Amino acid sequence: MVALDGDYFRALETPRMAALAPNLIAAAFPLMKLMPARYILDRAIADGAFETGMRIVETTSGTFGMALALLSAARGYRLTLVSASSLVDAKYKARLDGLGAQMIITQDRAGNGDQLGRLQRLEHIRREEPNCFWPRQYDNPGNALAYARLAEQLVRTVGEIDCLVGCVGSGGSLCGTGLFLRAVFPQLVVIAVDTHRSVLFGQAAGKRLLRGLGNSILPGNLRHELIDEVHWVGAYPAFSEARRLLREHGIFQGPTSAAAALVGRWTASTRPGARIAVIMPDEGHRYADTVFDDAWLASLPGWPCSPPSEPRELTIVEPGSEADWTWFKWARRSLARSVHDEVGKEGGYH
Amino acid sequence: MAGVSEITSKGKLLPRIGVGAASGHHGELLQGVFEDRNGRLHRGLVTLPLTKLVSKATFTCAPTADLTTHPAGKVKAGLAARQTLSHLGVSEAGFLHIESNIPIGHGYGSSTADVVAAIRAVAAAHAVRLQPSRVSQLAVTAERASDAIAFDGHTVLFAQREGAVLEDFGGSLPPLLLVGFKAMGGRPIDTLDLPPARYDSLEIQQFRVLRALIAYAVRYQDPNCLGRAATASALLSQRHLPKQHLERVIDIAKGAGACGVQVAHSGSLLGIIFDRAGKNLRQRAKSVAASVRRCGFCDVEFHQINDDGATW
Repeated sequence: MVALDGDYFRALETPRMAALAPNLIAAAFPLMKLMPARYILDRAIADGAFETGMRIVETTSGTFGMALALLSAARGYRLTLVSASSLVDAKYKARLDGLGAQMIITQDRAGNGDQLGRLQRLEHIRREEPNCFWPRQYDNPGNALAYARLAEQLVRTVGEIDCLVGCVGSGGSLCGTGLFLRAVFPQLVVIAVDTHRSVLFGQAAGKRLLRGLGNSILPGNLRHELIDEVHWVGAYPAFSEARRLLREHGIFQGPTSAAAALVGRWTASTRPGARIAVIMPDEGHRYADTVFDDAWLASLPGWPCSPPSEPRELTIVEPGSEADWTWFKWARRSLARSVHDEVGKEGGYH
Repeated sequence: MAGVSEITSKGKLLPRIGVGAASGHHGELLQGVFEDRNGRLHRGLVTLPLTKLVSKATFTCAPTADLTTHPAGKVKAGLAARQTLSHLGVSEAGFLHIESNIPIGHGYGSSTADVVAAIRAVAAAHAVRLQPSRVSQLAVTAERASDAIAFDGHTVLFAQREGAVLEDFGGSLPPLLLVGFKAMGGRPIDTLDLPPARYDSLEIQQFRVLRALIAYAVRYQDPNCLGRAATASALLSQRHLPKQHLERVIDIAKGAGACGVQVAHSGSLLGIIFDRAGKNLRQRAKSVAASVRRCGFCDVEFHQINDDGATW
């Protein structure tokens, strides 16, 4: 695939840098997932795993699917996306339809994203059409490798970086960027942003209002031993922060970006001598009728609520409400060790 | 560099003489594979020039097709002179004389310096000033792989096998003090005998960040970012041409508050990079010099880089 200098997708996967505080730089992406999508596809073409005429299949809750759909439309690939009813709204589905993607949507009554059901459907498709390419964003090492480009852009903008803050869904963006930055800045502190009732850092899976981060299965691209601190941000503080970013910075990013920005701002204020970088994965357009709509927000139980000005430190990993923001000194441990540590504590939740 | 072709009072033509010079270097700050603007990968490097090491070439035109090179062993420089004459469309050759204080075979770039000096001398004899990019291309035709010395103090990411610039960093390196040394009994290495390094996708992606560090270091004159890029590149190079005790040297550098460690990626040189503006520079430089000697390294030298010749 020839990538010309005037490459639309290269531009679309390039973040705009915003200084949210004197020591806090935010990489605000139009569509971050283009970075791994493009890298994975280009690598697969180069090593022969993805050949002309093959169908691409993937299970995705949103932006990775959008990235695949954009590339497939432009390059003439056939694409099937498996998603869950709790994750895809009509407008987003219409955009994906318009890009020519075939959509399969599982009925997800529990509202937890139905990861297992989606993976079963994907397996079924792969059995029926063996000659297809599955990018496997959760486990494909190319997902994390792609983010060397983000590390490159951050370094070109700010030079030395002491602390990296980012959301975790597949683990690709935070662990990839963190890995490449830590190779040159060994002291780098990596701070993960998750949400309550996601299994990524030892909570039990459950219904989550905040989408685009967290997971109900463990992706291979999440490398726990890279992570120094974990924050669990509820939907409400994230929604408030998304509105604040728009109102006070003129930055229109989605609630996932806002969760990261919230943690980034706190990190910058508690570490005034450190240079902090925060990853903001996508724009706010998809949330115009929800997070950016006062009537929709007012319909939420318990809204309005005043967002916490700082997180509550946990000594054991436990879920909070959608209004809560908590954090835990993860200290680069493995997930197994974290669970083991907590089993040792009387009454600890794990 | 000047071409001289004057008519004397008696109307007799003097021989046209051109002189050219080029620096040696202390190996590379960075070497790996990098994308060009079209996303294609090329082998590339960033050279660390040393102005103290110089090759000087003098070319005298003569009405003969023969090219005589002195010393006779400077075959590549002779070849480069030929290439330059052919580029200029000149059929008559002459005498090429090369004088150099650059040690051969440790990664100081003696061969490329001779080649670049020869190209410049031939061009000067014909009153032509060649662009660095042209000089680099001619150098690559003469010696297969080259370095970025034709760009002098201007920092570029240079594709050494194509003689092309992958990225112009838009300025010179920040002022540095380099403590350079080589392994005891380090034998000269014939660069072209080394098999080209193979890099995996993790390394190729990591090189993006190292390139970014150099870009930042040049743009904002930040020696720390430069040192971090050099250290990481030295570590990546271990799989291809390992330097003994590199980890120890990195610890010594860290202990003295240096910016990083650089190596000649196809030679036996190592260097500890200091910020020229750092405090107690002399004391810290001497302390690392003593430490690396104890570690078994030899030929320890201090090199001033881009500090406008100030005493330190």
